[in-house]
Amino acid sequence: MPIESKFRIPLFPFKTIQSNISLAFSLLILSAILLTSLLSYRASVDAVERNSNGYIEEIIKQVNMNIQSYVDNMENISLLALTNKDVKYYISDNSFISAENRRIYEKRISDLFQAILYTRKDIASIMVFGYNGRAVSDRRITTVNPNAKPEDQEWFKMAQRERGKSVISAPHVQNIIADEYRWVVSLSRELKSTDGIKAEGVFLVDLNLSVINDICNNINLGKKGYLFIVDNQGTIVYHPQQQLIDSKLRSERIDDVIQAASGTSFVAKDGDGKRIYSVQDTNFGWKIAGVAYTDDLIASNRVLRNAILLYSLCGLTISLLLSVWLSHRLSKPIKVLQRDMKQVEKGNFDIQTEIGQMNEIGQLGRSFNLMVSRTKFLMQEMIDNQESKRKSELLLLQSQINPHFLYNTLDSIVWMAEQKQHEEVVLMTAALAKLFRASITKDQELVPIRVEVEHITNYLLIQKMRYNDELDYIIDIDESILSFKTLKILLQPFVENAIYHGIRKMYGRDDGMITIRGRQVKDQIVFEVEDNGLGMTTEQLARIRVNAESGSEGIGIRNVNERIKLYFGHEYGIQIRSEIESGTCVTITIPKLD
Amino acid sequence: MRKQQFTLWLVLAVIIVAVYSVVYVKWFSGATRGEQSVTVVLKSLNVRLDFWQAVSQGAETAAKEKGARLEVKGPLQEGDADEQIRILDELIASKPDAIVVAPIADERIPGVLAKVRNAGIRLVVMDSTLELDPPPTIVSNDFAESGRMAGRTAAQEAKGHLAAAVIGDDKNSSITRARLSGLTETLSEYEGGLLGVYFADRSEERAYRIAIRLLEERRPPNTFIALDEAAALGAARALKDRNLAGSVALIGFDSSLDEIKLLESGTLSAAIVQKPFNLGYLGVKTALKLIGGDRTEPVTYIESNVITSKNMYTPENQKLLFPFINNR
Repeated sequence: MPIESKFRIPLFPFKTIQSNISLAFSLLILSAILLTSLLSYRASVDAVERNSNGYIEEIIKQVNMNIQSYVDNMENISLLALTNKDVKYYISDNSFISAENRRIYEKRISDLFQAILYTRKDIASIMVFGYNGRAVSDRRITTVNPNAKPEDQEWFKMAQRERGKSVISAPHVQNIIADEYRWVVSLSRELKSTDGIKAEGVFLVDLNLSVINDICNNINLGKKGYLFIVDNQGTIVYHPQQQLIDSKLRSERIDDVIQAASGTSFVAKDGDGKRIYSVQDTNFGWKIAGVAYTDDLIASNRVLRNAILLYSLCGLTISLLLSVWLSHRLSKPIKVLQRDMKQVEKGNFDIQTEIGQMNEIGQLGRSFNLMVSRTKFLMQEMIDNQESKRKSELLLLQSQINPHFLYNTLDSIVWMAEQKQHEEVVLMTAALAKLFRASITKDQELVPIRVEVEHITNYLLIQKMRYNDELDYIIDIDESILSFKTLKILLQPFVENAIYHGIRKMYGRDDGMITIRGRQVKDQIVFEVEDNGLGMTTEQLARIRVNAESGSEGIGIRNVNERIKLYFGHEYGIQIRSEIESGTCVTITIPKLD
Repeated sequence: MRKQQFTLWLVLAVIIVAVYSVVYVKWFSGATRGEQSVTVVLKSLNVRLDFWQAVSQGAETAAKEKGARLEVKGPLQEGDADEQIRILDELIASKPDAIVVAPIADERIPGVLAKVRNAGIRLVVMDSTLELDPPPTIVSNDFAESGRMAGRTAAQEAKGHLAAAVIGDDKNSSITRARLSGLTETLSEYEGGLLGVYFADRSEERAYRIAIRLLEERRPPNTFIALDEAAALGAARALKDRNLAGSVALIGFDSSLDEIKLLESGTLSAAIVQKPFNLGYLGVKTALKLIGGDRTEPVTYIESNVITSKNMYTPENQKLLFPFINNR
């Protein structure tokens, strides 16, 4: 639609090429730098996130190892109890131990447990519960909480279910000892009789939860990051905000963590912000998850952004300057060419534009130079042609009204009139009149050969009458060529020469003969003017040939030659053959023109 | 041509400035906002008072989550109104962005809090039904609701034949009044369910004597509702002495180690337990919302849990009864 295109913004809105190139470059550079800045920022952030991912993984591994070492320790303690003879006897149903001896066994076991406890600050208590109702702990006197029955406790039931394998409980408040309420993680294990078949009791080691709590609390995962532990049922073992989760004030991605494989991580993004969860499995069924907030991790985020902004600004400035310089360099030869063309426009054809590199613009410049010089040459040629035409016309005019010829002819007429030769006077005057009439018809340069022949006949008639018997002539023109065109007064100068230089100088001789022939040779008309006069030496001939090109002598010959070449082209012209004492023959070649 | 080049440069300059300003605004806004500071003023900083320690822990959790700077202050002695007023006066001078206060019942407090507000400090009142004009933003346990909870629990324990006696702490306490209003509202649904309300003035001995006296009456109560720890312990002792532990229901408020033992043994049928951690957490969060100019509820209530001997060792309730993992 024409109206639409009228209002469309053009791709290159500026008038000069330089501005357009600068604009295009600048926009390209701007977008390129913008893109690379954004991409490099993203890449850096990704790299930082990846790095911190690895870092978090390391931390979690450390936590895992720490907790594992505590669990291993509990395991070792349980193995100690498992293999201890005193413990075995004490809880066994058969009465190895009498009621009196019980106290002694209790003390020995208690001493053993106390010795272990002395070396381990992390262990809260060690206890053995026999299915025979006996219980002994690391305490000197064990008072079991009357309101808490061991067999109702979760750790007790789990140990029974596992039949001899050790089990780790979720964190809980241990209330089995009267007046003690401690947060612990329990490792419990069912004890077998010496034969290894009969279950006789449950062994319990409690790890202070504060140990795990301290480990997890001391982990620094950025300002807001934290670490939490769940068991394989999804129960929270440790979470810094457990109470909020219990009260539904906060949600945690426990399901995602349980599903995640060990050593993997996933990203969560919601109202709390973007954060990375790294998950690790422990050997005893817990999962440790580290949570790091990405905006926390990239502490140098601002520095990174500042640096990228600064660098991109620098790059932008440099490349903008570069783009202006480049566009200037590119458009400069065009501007030079344009300036030179302006000169030609004003008419100065002497200019030749400077050609730098031979690229498209260089070639353009070369073509321009060629064109200018060609134009200049043609113009000069045209001027020259005009000039020589004007000159030859002037000379023609001169040759037509050669005053001596006129005086002589008139003298002859006067002389004949005195002799009362009336007929001759009439004849000569008529011929002279015809001659002048023919030469005065200036309106056309080209005349039929018939007219030219008539003209030369008149001329020869006059001359013959002047020179009487000294001169005779033959005009032998092929009838068929009479209607073709020729330059007017083509032959007269040669006949004149033949008479004045050839025949008139043959003093005393009266057999002077001028023969004029006209033939068609192929596409050309060939005239011959031959005399049997004095002839010329080789030197004379050479001088005339030179004079034919220039010089004052033999003006007639030169004039004719020039006229022929001007009108018909360089392949046409005159040729002179001459031999001393025998005569001269001039051959004139012109094209056949209708 | 000069003019065109000028236009070209102008266009480029405008583009660059526009792009950079957009990037700058997008990347740096928000980061320029300074750290928010919140000060929490408790009724007591005493490390032996689990309730206030848990409030403090909740406040710290909220501050960490939001990246705010937190300070927790309070008198060492619970009920030291002079000290609390001195702390508040100091804070008016140092001007934190917000103050979260659990005011001690004292007639000077409303005046001080009005001064706090006039100083341009955002104010959140915790755990109180303090009257100010205009009313302050309140984050509090729903005392009336906890009273209703106690009433409903009592009705369940009595299995329909409710004859409850209430032993209160302090006639003038606004908290007690709120609890009583909820309690009586629920108990009034049962014909003759409420035998009477008695005040032991935070004395275990007086509560014991009230309970003994009531148990000897012609129509003894089958349910005691004790509004504070002292009343609960006194009533429990009376029930043990009369060998009525377990057969006469006893419902208490809040938890202490003694009350936990009573729960375990079944002397205390149920305890209505507050969530102090949530109180501190929501107090600070509300204060941060006020600083940020976000919409807040005029009153945020925090629910209570009914804890019995059966559910006292569930993971959730363990955490309520024993809020601290580190043994002291």
